Parts: sequence; structure tokens; C-alpha cells
Amino acid sequence: MLSFVLRRLASAVGTLFLSSVLVFLAVQALPGDVATQILGKDATPDAVAALRDQLGLDRPAWERYFDWIKGALHGDFGTSLVSGKGVGGEVAMYLGNSALIALVTVLFAVTGSLVLGILAGLYRDRWPDHLISTVSLIGMSVPEFVVATVLVLCFSVALPWFPAVVLYGPDASVGQLLPAVWLPALALAVVMAAYIVRMARTSVIDVMAGEYVTTARLKGLSTWRVVTRHALPSALLPTLHVIALNVAWLIGGVAVVENVFNYPGIGKLMLSSVQNRDLPIIQAIALVSAVVYVCCNLAADLGAMALNPRLRTRGRTR
Amino acid sequence: MTTSTPEGSPMHPIAPGDSPPPIVSVNSLSVAYRSGGRDVPVVHEVSLDVAKGRTLALVGESGSGKSTVAATLLGHLRHGSRITGGSVRVDGHDVFALPARELRRLRGGTVAMVGQNAGQALTPTMRIGRQIEEAGGTVPVADLLEQVRLPRPAELARRYPHELSGGQQQRVAIAMAIAARPKVLVLDEPTTGLDVVTQRGVLDLIAALRDELGLAAVLVSHDLGVVAHMADEVCVLKSGRVVETAATRQLFADPQDPYTKRLLASVPRLDDTGLAVVAESGEREVRPKVPVPEGSPVAVSAHDVTVDYGSSRAVDGVSFDVRRGEVVALVGESGSGKSTLAWTLAGLRTPSGGTMTHETGDLARPAHRRPLALRRRIQLVFQNADTSLNPRRSVGDAVRHPLRFFGTATGRTEATEQARRLITDVRLDPALAERLPAQLSGGQRQRIGIARALAGEPDVLIADEITTALDVSVQADVLRLLDDLRRERDLACLFISHDLAVVRGIADRVVVLRHGVVVEEGPTEAVFAAPGHPYTRQLMAAALEPDPDAQPYVDDTVDWADAADGDDIWTDPGDGGHRVRRWRSLNAPVAEGVS
Repeated sequence: MLSFVLRRLASAVGTLFLSSVLVFLAVQALPGDVATQILGKDATPDAVAALRDQLGLDRPAWERYFDWIKGALHGDFGTSLVSGKGVGGEVAMYLGNSALIALVTVLFAVTGSLVLGILAGLYRDRWPDHLISTVSLIGMSVPEFVVATVLVLCFSVALPWFPAVVLYGPDASVGQLLPAVWLPALALAVVMAAYIVRMARTSVIDVMAGEYVTTARLKGLSTWRVVTRHALPSALLPTLHVIALNVAWLIGGVAVVENVFNYPGIGKLMLSSVQNRDLPIIQAIALVSAVVYVCCNLAADLGAMALNPRLRTRGRTR
Repeated sequence: MTTSTPEGSPMHPIAPGDSPPPIVSVNSLSVAYRSGGRDVPVVHEVSLDVAKGRTLALVGESGSGKSTVAATLLGHLRHGSRITGGSVRVDGHDVFALPARELRRLRGGTVAMVGQNAGQALTPTMRIGRQIEEAGGTVPVADLLEQVRLPRPAELARRYPHELSGGQQQRVAIAMAIAARPKVLVLDEPTTGLDVVTQRGVLDLIAALRDELGLAAVLVSHDLGVVAHMADEVCVLKSGRVVETAATRQLFADPQDPYTKRLLASVPRLDDTGLAVVAESGEREVRPKVPVPEGSPVAVSAHDVTVDYGSSRAVDGVSFDVRRGEVVALVGESGSGKSTLAWTLAGLRTPSGGTMTHETGDLARPAHRRPLALRRRIQLVFQNADTSLNPRRSVGDAVRHPLRFFGTATGRTEATEQARRLITDVRLDPALAERLPAQLSGGQRQRIGIARALAGEPDVLIADEITTALDVSVQADVLRLLDDLRRERDLACLFISHDLAVVRGIADRVVVLRHGVVVEEGPTEAVFAAPGHPYTRQLMAAALEPDPDAQPYVDDTVDWADAADGDDIWTDPGDGGHRVRRWRSLNAPVAEGVS
């Protein structure tokens, strides 16, 4: 079991290393000279030379990569080309704001959709199932910016309960941002929940039709006990990875929704840095996304191990 | 239970010929399954009674409704089924009229079930001890595990189901069933997935517990050997109707209904010297074996083959030859390496040592590295025809594909024509070619599996437990087909089976495997006439004959140890190649009777 965890951790570190190389190479592969790209065609040769010097573009790529990664490991991602501040602090600030949305979304979307999916599975082909399945299908088919816009129309314009846009900067406190978190979180949750609901429903149906669930019923156990003790641990296994993928997807989804609400999160930062060609920030955000993806999958794998004794007892002799 | 006795006073001691009042009473029960908007009846007016301490067997082929009837004793119906008439009473309760809470108390408390496949009946995510504990009752888990004769109960209770062998899993399922000390035990094919030796152990355990706890039992089985061994009364079902009900001894000695007669006659017996041919009336005739022609060439030859799974050795130094027109049977319990050996020969695994050769080439390479011409000459028929055919393609396609692939047929129309001919060759209507596998019966699917294997015009056919999943009458037909085909096509056939009676009927030679090692081999008649190795004798003793008074085929009381040493491996009773691996007895003279 320990060796499995260690191997899984090692592969996570390996994945991160590879993605950092890819991120770095992708930026290197931008057409033309990086300094010219940043400064535009009309830049004076002096300015270009100065920037090249600042970016250290004359040194070989692998050397610059190791400098970058060494800094990154210490939290130093370089300096933003636009604001001139440290990239690390800047990204962390925006990331914190996004994490607030993500936390609320994950909390509601995951618990809510699991409960709904399990209910749909247990009431298969009866009205609760039809209702849940139809609604989740609609949620799945509508893009998040449409959901976000509809939510603004309903709950900011028609019923002025929540702010439609955020007027604070990235350094706003949690208390200032909290009222603005709900609508973006809801928009994301609706889209994300659909997949989890459908997956949970399918696997609950599969497991409930299994022989061991019938056996548990015929032992005279209550339905609650049959579902929670016998069916759910197995039914949650395939759902776990869908949850992990969806949580990781949040990073992308957040970019769209944050722009609809003008929310000062990582998505907004990403968009503006792309527009400003702020390469150090883009690199840092790309790396952070990779970390999030890898961590989500790692968590899912470890969770699967907790649920599946076959994985846990591997290597133990019969 | 054949005659409805008037209710006697329960205080009265049971006189001979007088039945005690039934604890289970099913009265004209009818069950229908709802499919496509209409009711399909699956059980018609079935009535039966079981008295305390008695065992009733429900016998029938697949689709006879026997499992459905058994499950109603626990108030369980398959999704989509409903009762359309009659009642089920257990211990005085009308099962289907009970409120949910009472029904839960009945399940486990009064009636408990042991299902067919313990591997799937145990929850994979829960420790065994917890699962048994949950079944209720006051008996400590360790005591229950000890009661089902499992070693080191305290440690075992902490295991998960996948860490146990099939036989152990079934014992755990039994422990779970008797945990709350029920009055009635429902056994739905309790030993079907197990090999003969394990089956014998589990059946003996069930019988002992039944007597010890005074349980009434309802045993569902398609295996008439098991039924003859276990039941007091037998109820034969066909298409949801009771065909015949009688005391076990009477039913086996003198079956009344033609269907029962045919069913009984279809069961292969250990002393059959050929395949049985059963007439419509139930008359049984044993078709003598045709001897393999003298000087028939050796088609495949294995010499000192070893196969490893990681660090464990599944097959250890096995040698044998199969001649054209000959059936060689590999027998042994599960884990003996017989299927591994077959798969290795078919090229699905690579041997780690030894040589395997065909008339035309070397077989030590996996199938995808063998030349096409060699590959088509060795074909495998799978145990499970349901899962080895693509469910979305017609069976005609399944047969046509290898025809095109091996170049046996060139054009599309020619392939279609040949596929139809092959389907006719396996005694099926060529019109079935358009059907999907799900639209065929199990026996028909297995014939398609054989037709597909024949499409490459092989000269070696490997049959891996091909009749295990089939009903007895269907099994008899498929075996006869295989026997005919090997004569018509001069096939060398490697027949893998754990059923010794089947082996005796079809095989010319027998190779007995234990833990990957050959312990005995020889001409079928010689081996069955004088089994030399204690393991062979143990297998034969564990086989159950469809006769309640059957004596074990051989005595089995010897404790033994392997005594093969260096080059001195075999003793040779000297009967046409019959040889036995050396062993020595460990039985002290006083230890007699210890099994």
C-alpha cells in the first residue's frame, strides 16, 4: 500500500516536471523574438536589447529553464512586465480570490450533485429520476457564460439580491468579495454538477443491480444500511475521477465566469496578461493550473484507494 | 410432501409415513415478468411444501423458473416481476403480505439464502467479519467462521472477500446465512462455480450444518449429482411448471415423466465408456468410442512445458502428445494449470520453458508471431460463448470473419456461403446466421463458437471447459457434435474439463494435472479402471453420481506425499502408456478413516 502511494506521488512529481518543461517550451516557441513580441513591432532596437537583457534571452534555454524552476520552487516566478511587481505575490492574490469561488462551488456542486445523482439512481425510472436527469441534462448543454448571464438577469436585475459585477480590485477582503461569490459559484456548479449527477446515477444503478446488494437486502438489512454500507463505497469509485476532472476543469470555467462578473480572480488575471503579453504571469498561471490538475487527480487516486480494498491490500499475501 | 397429509397434532411424535407440518408452503404460485408492455409468465401454479429438517431440491434447466421460486421464499422478486397468483407461507407468515419491517425480520432471521456466486455475493468493500456480524444473531463471528470450518477465524474476519479462494468465499456466505440461526436455508446453486473437490467439501459442510441446526433447506440446482447427494425430495420444473415431485430415491430409481427421464438419462456417468445417446422416451444408450486409427500422426506435442505468472509457476514441466483424430483430456481442479496450458498452446501466453511443436512448426511463440498458416491450424473454443462473441454482430459475421482473415474463402459471397455451410456442419439452421448472439440459446451459441473455430480449417481444436455453462441435455448434444466433428475432420482435440464423467465419455487419453504437474496419464479406460495416483482417486471420489445410493467411485482415504525424485518420476502400471507419478503414503496404520 505504501509503495503504491509512493509510486503515485512520484508519478505526480514527474507529471509536474514534464508540464513545467512544456509550459516553458511553449513560451519559447512563440514566433519571433520574445522581446519584440512583447514590445511590439515599433519598439526601438535599444528597448528590445534592454528587454532581451532583462529576460536573459542570450543565455541558453535550459539554463533559463533551471533558473525559472529554481525560483518557482522558492515562490519566485520573476517580475511582471506590466506592473513590475513580483509575479508570485500577484498570482497568489488573484488565486486566493478564485479559490473562494472554487471552494464554494466544489462544496455545493459536489455534495449537491452526489446526493441528486444517488437519488436519481435509487429512484430509477420514477419521477425523481426523470426530473433530476432532465434538469442535469439541460445544465450540461448550456454553456457557463449563458448560465451566468441568466443568473445575473434573474438574481441581480429582476431580483436585486446579489451584485451583478464586482467593483473591488484584486486586493479586496474576503468580506467584501463574499456577496459577489454566490452567482459565479452557482453558474459553475450548475454546469459542473450535470456530469457528476449523471455519473453517480449510472454507477449507483449498476451497483444496486449487483448480486452483493441483493444479498445484503436478503440479509434483512434496512434500505439505508444497504445503500450506505454496501452500495455507495463501490458506486462512488467511478464518480471520484469525474469529480476530480470537474474540479480541475474549474480553472478553465472560472476564467469565463469571472469575466462575466468582472470578478478579480485568476481567470481575469490570465485574460489580461494574455492581452498585455505578460509572459512571466502566463507561465506562472499555466504552472499553477498544472499543479491543480495533478493534485485533483492525485486526490482522486488516493480516495479510490481508500474506497477500494483491492488497491489497499495489494501486495499482501493471501 | 407428495401427498397432502391432514393436519396432525404438532405434539404428536412423527410416525413413519406421516409428515410433520410444513415450515415452507408454496401454494399455486404464479409469477410473471413484465416485458414490452405485457406479462410474460415465468412460474405457473407451482405448489410445494418443505417440512422441518427436510431438504427439497428444485431441479430444472435454465429458464425453468427454479431460482425465481426459491427467491420468493424470502419475498424477493426480480425487478419487473410480480406475483400473479397463489401464496408463499414460511413459518406461518404469508411472505408477500408482510409489512416491510416484518419482511426484513423474516429475511435472515427465519429464511436465509446462500447464492450461486459467493465471489459476487459478498460486498467487495467490506471486511468479512463485518458482513457476517451485520447478518444479525448473537453468535460471535469467530464461532461462525469456525463452524463453517475455516482456519484461523480471527484473522480471516479481517480480510476482504477478494483475499479468499472461491471455496472460502462460499463458506463465508454460508456463515453469513446461518448467523441469525434461521429455520429455512435457501441454497441457489451453492456449488456451481466450484470444482469437484471444493464442491464436495462445501456440500458436506451444508449437510452437516443442516442436520446440526435442524434446518429445512430448499436447494436449487441443475446438477443431478448434487441433488441425489443432498435432497430428501425432488421437484422437477420445466418452463415454470412442476413436472414431477417425488422422494429422491424414488425419483432417481423410477422417474415417471418423460422429461424427467430424459433429464436423468442425459447426465454423463463415471462408468459410461462412451457418450450417451438419449431417445425422446428417455431411453439411454452408450455409444461406444471409435478407436483412434493406428499410426495416426502426432498433431501437437508438448515437451517439458513450463509457464510462469510472475514469480509463481502455473505449469511445471508438462509433456504430452495429441494425435490426429484423438481427444486428450486435461483434468484437474481450478488452479491446476489446465487452462493456462491450453491458452499457452493456443498462443495466448508464452511458455517460459520447454518445447511445443505442431506438425508444421514451432508453437513456442505467441499467436501474433506465428505464421498465418500455422495460426489457423490451432483454434480455441472458449468456455463462455456468451462473452466470446461480439454482441453487436450477427453470428454469421462471427464465422465469416476468420474465413476471410485466414484466406479460406476469397470472395465475399463465397465467405457467406461457407459460413452457412459451417453453421450447418455444427447442426444448426443456416438461417440463424443473421441473428445476434443474444437471440440464440446457450447451446446454439456454443455451436457457433465451434463453427468459428472450424472456419480456419484447423487440425487442432482446444476446447476449454466448453460445456460447463450448459444444461445437461444441451451438454450431451454439444459433446456428441464435438465427437462427430473430430472423426469427420480428423481433428486432434485437447479437451479441458473438471467433470470426470464427461471426460470418460469423450476422451481417448487422460492427463491429470495438480498444481501444474502431471500426476497421472494414460488411456481413459486404463486410468478409470485403475486410478493409480491418490489425487486422481480423490477427484473420482469427489465426483457425484445422479444416484442417491451411489457408492464413491473409489475410496479416498490416503494421505500422501510426492515421491518423484530426479529422473525417477514415474511408476508404470504398464497399460498402453498409463503412468503414475511416484508418491508415498503418509497414513499411519492407526489413522484410518481420517479424510
